[in-house]
Amino acid sequence: MAPLTLEHLTKRFADGDDEIVAVDDVSIEIEDGEFLVLVGPSGCGKSTTLRMIAGLETITEGTIAIGDTVVNDQPAQHRNIAMVFQNYALYPHMTVRQNMRFGLEESTDRSKAAMNETVEETATLLEIDDLLERKPRELSGGQQQRVALGRAIVRDPDVFLMDEPLSNLDAKLRSGMRMELQRLQADLGVTTVYVTHDQTEAMTMGDRIAILDGGRLQQVATPLECYHRPTNRFVAGFIGEPSMNFVDVTLEDGHLVGGGLTYPLSAATRENLQGHTDLTLGVRPEDIEIREGETPGHHEVPVSIEVVEPMGDGNNLLVELVDGETTLTVTVDGMRHVEPGGRSLARIPESAIHLFARATGEALHNREIEDETALLGPQG
Amino acid sequence: MSDDTVKPTTDPTRADTRLDGVDLERISLYAILCGLIAFYLSPLWSGLTTAFKTQSAFVRTSPLAPPMPEGFTLEPWELAFATMQGGLLNSVTFVLPATVLSATLGSLAAYGLTKLSWRGQVAILVLFLAGVFLPYQSVLVPLRQFWSAVDVAGLLSFAPFLANRADLIELTITHTAYGVPICTILFRSYYLAMDDAMIEAAKLDGASPFTIYRRIVLPLSAPMFAVALIYQFTQVWNDLLFALVLVTSRSNYVVTQSLNVLQGSMVQEYNIQMAGAFIAALPTIVVYVVFGRQFAKGITGAS
Repeated sequence: MAPLTLEHLTKRFADGDDEIVAVDDVSIEIEDGEFLVLVGPSGCGKSTTLRMIAGLETITEGTIAIGDTVVNDQPAQHRNIAMVFQNYALYPHMTVRQNMRFGLEESTDRSKAAMNETVEETATLLEIDDLLERKPRELSGGQQQRVALGRAIVRDPDVFLMDEPLSNLDAKLRSGMRMELQRLQADLGVTTVYVTHDQTEAMTMGDRIAILDGGRLQQVATPLECYHRPTNRFVAGFIGEPSMNFVDVTLEDGHLVGGGLTYPLSAATRENLQGHTDLTLGVRPEDIEIREGETPGHHEVPVSIEVVEPMGDGNNLLVELVDGETTLTVTVDGMRHVEPGGRSLARIPESAIHLFARATGEALHNREIEDETALLGPQG
Repeated sequence: MSDDTVKPTTDPTRADTRLDGVDLERISLYAILCGLIAFYLSPLWSGLTTAFKTQSAFVRTSPLAPPMPEGFTLEPWELAFATMQGGLLNSVTFVLPATVLSATLGSLAAYGLTKLSWRGQVAILVLFLAGVFLPYQSVLVPLRQFWSAVDVAGLLSFAPFLANRADLIELTITHTAYGVPICTILFRSYYLAMDDAMIEAAKLDGASPFTIYRRIVLPLSAPMFAVALIYQFTQVWNDLLFALVLVTSRSNYVVTQSLNVLQGSMVQEYNIQMAGAFIAALPTIVVYVVFGRQFAKGITGAS
């Protein structure tokens, strides 16, 4: 167990005459025992970053350190890292016991009895102790997943790396495994880097999330901070399901104008804009309120309800502004009956809006939070 | 082997259910299949009947007619075996090491070319590919010159037993070298399909490249070893050309050469030659039967 430090990590691939920058100057400090989730769309460089930490990919620039040791030049065999692969990568000709023991045999000088004991302890922890003599092909996907996890755990590594380990499981198994993984990681206290493209996994599992896009680090923060205080438009759109609504607007005369919207902005909010006038307005679906009525009040806009997706606990609505082409996603309470086709009023509270500079995507103003320290912890 | 593959099409119960309606297409299909079977089996059949006939019975009857009791004899088999047993033994002693060596070296080379990364792989691969297409005939003269220059018998003069077998040692090394390229290409396609993540997992588990080969790749290569072993065994066993060029002393004659000896200079005794041909072919058939299941797995890519 040790902290893991990435400094100015860069990976460039040669592609014919072109050069592709897969990972661009990424610096993250991962504390001892922390669970960090690397998340981003496919091709964002998250897997390359993970493979560089593992030693399966060379580092173009920058350093990786485990504890105080820079491991750039250490081969994968000597880094004391364990990795769980997306397809589990079990050895098909070995039993579960042999699969789990392989790493101990190759990296330690312990006696066979001692290794078997460790394997059996780990198998009991993962509830696969009755499968030890089976071959991987005789196991279900969920069981193979546990064996892959067990194979990593028995090694008692400094760092765990997980490359989308849950993506081959069906949805129900996945949510169960998500919680179990968190519990395991907390119990074992091993520094963990977890790669996923699934923002739900990122939100629910990580102590902190690192969001990557196009090889660049967008934000490293706790899940709730990423959700409520995104540093830019990409993070705001990537985190949260359904995604945040975005409307391109211009600041004119104290109002945000665009896409059929004319939205008065208070002086306090205007102060945050640093003189930018070309903006993107962002608002999360659950912050928009839908009410019956004809005459729009303050911060209200008439809309028509186009699509209703009942989810049981809530309804996802797709609404269109009456005065324009803009569509918004809105989530409302599941107990409320909503018919598509009706006209309603949508209220966008000013306390819930985010404003981004349109050109750079940089967040200029984030939503208000009533008890910020309670929700996000002490802020620097 | 061939029994297994023919069975489904001639399954009697399936044919019966079809008989109520006249299915011309199916009937003509079977007719053609039967014709083809007869066509392919007739040389084998006439060879087999000839091997069991006396010389006079062979002259009197058609080659396709089975041997009658008065013309039946096992003598050709005994005579052929007596002449060939030395050749059979010599062949076994050099074919087995040559086959196993070229398959093992091919597998190792293919592992290095697929699962390890180093500079110049493509150039090496091209050399291997070129080796596959090098015809035997084109290397005969340099090959003979090479082994004359090396003088294996002289090098082994301290051990007279091995020195006497120098021809066979040369043949073993030559066939091993000649077999490595095709074995490498066979194993390469197999290893390309092998999961890279599994190799990486073994690497992270602390295994060295050679340990990964020995403990992960090799145990999973059994089907492809069956393919390479069967292919190489048949190639080397049936080879006459290299043997003619490299084996000079009669005591070192391999099976194909001893079969050639059966061909008398004055009288052609076909029954003995046919019996000899069957004796010479027997080991390759045995190898197919023994490794057949693994062979099928290997060529269909299942593991």
